[in-house]
Amino acid sequence: MIISDRKLKARRRKDNSVKGIILSFSSVGLLVFASILIYIFKTGGGLVGYDLLISDYQDFNTDVIVNEVSGDFTYSSTLDDDEYYSNKWDVVLTDTKDREGKDIVVISYIGENSPLRDVSDLNSIVDSGFVRVNIPINSSVDSIILDDYDFIAFSKFGAETMVDIMNMGTSIDSMTLVKEGGGIRGSLITTLYLIGLTLVIAVPIGVFSAIYINEYARKNKLTKYMKTMIDMLTGVPSIIFGLMGAAIFIPFVNGTIGTSGGSIISGALTMAVILLPVIIKSTEEALKVIPFDIRTASLSLGANQTQTTFKVILPSAIPGIMTGILLGIGRIIGESAALIYAIGASIKDKVILKERSTTLAVHIWTAMSGDRPNFELASAISIIILGAVIILNIIAKILVKRVSKVSY
Amino acid sequence: MAMISKYVTKESIRRKNLQDKIVKNIFFSSTILSASFIILIVIFILVKGIAPFVSSKYISNVNLFDFLTGIKWLDGATGISTDYGVGFLIINTIIVVLISLLISIPVSILTGLFIAKIAPKRVREIFRTVVELLASIPSIIYGVFGLGVIAPVIMNIAEVLGFQSSGGLSLITTSIVLGMMTIPTITVISENSIRSVDKILEEGSLALGASPTQTQLKVLIPAAKSGIFAGIILGIGRALGEATAVSMVSGNRFSGLVFNPFDTTSTLTSRMLLGIKETTGIDYDIRFSVGLVLMLVIILANIILKVIMKKVGNLDDN
Repeated sequence: MIISDRKLKARRRKDNSVKGIILSFSSVGLLVFASILIYIFKTGGGLVGYDLLISDYQDFNTDVIVNEVSGDFTYSSTLDDDEYYSNKWDVVLTDTKDREGKDIVVISYIGENSPLRDVSDLNSIVDSGFVRVNIPINSSVDSIILDDYDFIAFSKFGAETMVDIMNMGTSIDSMTLVKEGGGIRGSLITTLYLIGLTLVIAVPIGVFSAIYINEYARKNKLTKYMKTMIDMLTGVPSIIFGLMGAAIFIPFVNGTIGTSGGSIISGALTMAVILLPVIIKSTEEALKVIPFDIRTASLSLGANQTQTTFKVILPSAIPGIMTGILLGIGRIIGESAALIYAIGASIKDKVILKERSTTLAVHIWTAMSGDRPNFELASAISIIILGAVIILNIIAKILVKRVSKVSY
Repeated sequence: MAMISKYVTKESIRRKNLQDKIVKNIFFSSTILSASFIILIVIFILVKGIAPFVSSKYISNVNLFDFLTGIKWLDGATGISTDYGVGFLIINTIIVVLISLLISIPVSILTGLFIAKIAPKRVREIFRTVVELLASIPSIIYGVFGLGVIAPVIMNIAEVLGFQSSGGLSLITTSIVLGMMTIPTITVISENSIRSVDKILEEGSLALGASPTQTQLKVLIPAAKSGIFAGIILGIGRALGEATAVSMVSGNRFSGLVFNPFDTTSTLTSRMLLGIKETTGIDYDIRFSVGLVLMLVIILANIILKVIMKKVGNLDDN
């Protein structure tokens, strides 16, 4: 039976169309990745910046009063074009624009002995008088009323005029300050704390476990069971780890350190358990490629097993351990469900290890799960998280290549 | 004698041996600790999860049968009633995951095939990198994307088709988000197993006159099916346990089975996260019971799938 030309052509056509279908299915992943990038950059790209990283989350909005002054201060640094110094109040006012592009005047410097270091909140009175507040640097000054309404300065006059008017008065009856919130400084610091604390706990335990399994353990049932049990951790969903944090680590930390409820410490302990299999696995990978001869050579030179482990084996395994650490950091940055249980979901500006806080990822969850989801902020944080995770993964990939290329 | 003793004495050997013993014990205890966490997790969640059914510290106990078959999360007021139910959550979770698999399985297998056999070297590297990057995107970002892009699209589609939809928060949105998240998991494993199919099979098929695509679809994929199946099992595990992204797009309904793709839904995991910030007492503790149910569902799904896989594998051998 001979296949005719026509049949061959038809078959080729069919082949090509199937190939087209396969290609179009394969591009779904590419499409998803590209759309995620486009979406978060389009929505949050404008918000990402130094300002977002260092700003507080809570708004600061208050009127303050300052007692009489008769000071004459000096400013040691040089002033930029848009900065104006008041030698009477020892502050620098600066013309600038807010995130929406409106002209505003901000307090960019408050001197060590400035009267503005000692201000009272006009709106909160307790028995002993007004409540003292700290003026955050870079809060915007809306208006200043001096000396029983003799002098009034508005931000629309610009910083130079405001300073001139301020210099005429001797006491501030009311100064309206606004500091726009919505920043992520607290969550950023929490994330960094969490990374540090988690690694301090997880890396030694993980590396020691990997060394034991690979170097010391006999091939018996106990070793096999322990390996299986460590492997099983990888399959546990992160929300179950969160329950573990709530059931084991929060009570544990409450009992030992005296916290109440979730804290960054209980979060770090929870994350450490999540990271253990990652670190053990990548350390093991690195240990496996070290040839057996090196160990016997070290032992035959008179080193004991401890010396062999710490001076010969461990240094060769460092790229593998680094890989595990990098992947682990990525996991900490991206983790959300477990941390909602183990730390909490309330955004804080003042980060304390023994208290609740949010990491960047949980910050997104909190910002999105309210009645009015904040897409701009969520996308902006997503850009930061995604950037960090992708860079970490790329470095880890390069390290892995180097580990597998090592030739002894 | 003095020179030798500077280097090796009985004392120094003893010290070295002692050092070895101590270090080995430290390593051993680290390993025991690492291995014990899985047991601790199971024990603690078991104890905490069973408490609402038996403990006397609550106003009243939750009825186990009602809990497992209930089609309403809570019948009554929070803190007063203990009439919780998760039956509808179990079913809804399974429906959501099954639909997500309808999306991710074909995409993943064909992507795996494309990367393993069809794409030229440079294209292959690009696709592989993208799949790896997709795998590394944290679930919260999939949630943001789902809420910001997919939900509005679904809302518009629902409008065109004449369905009610709650801002696009729906069963189908949740399934699409979960599908996107499981694509990299299944793709990586499918690609590996397709690539490791014996070359002889491929060459044999081509020599018999089958076209390249016929070979790929009818020889390579069936030959790699146990590996692909393992990838699907992993993907199901990830989809069942996914929490934050699902909680953002599901709509978190309180009761009822959902089969309409444009209707809001809720899963075991989304339920566990809902209202966590402002809750205490039984309403908090019941989450451990939901977690316990989630673990059982995952374990059961694994067992069932492994049995199926064995059957499929055996057929292959004959």
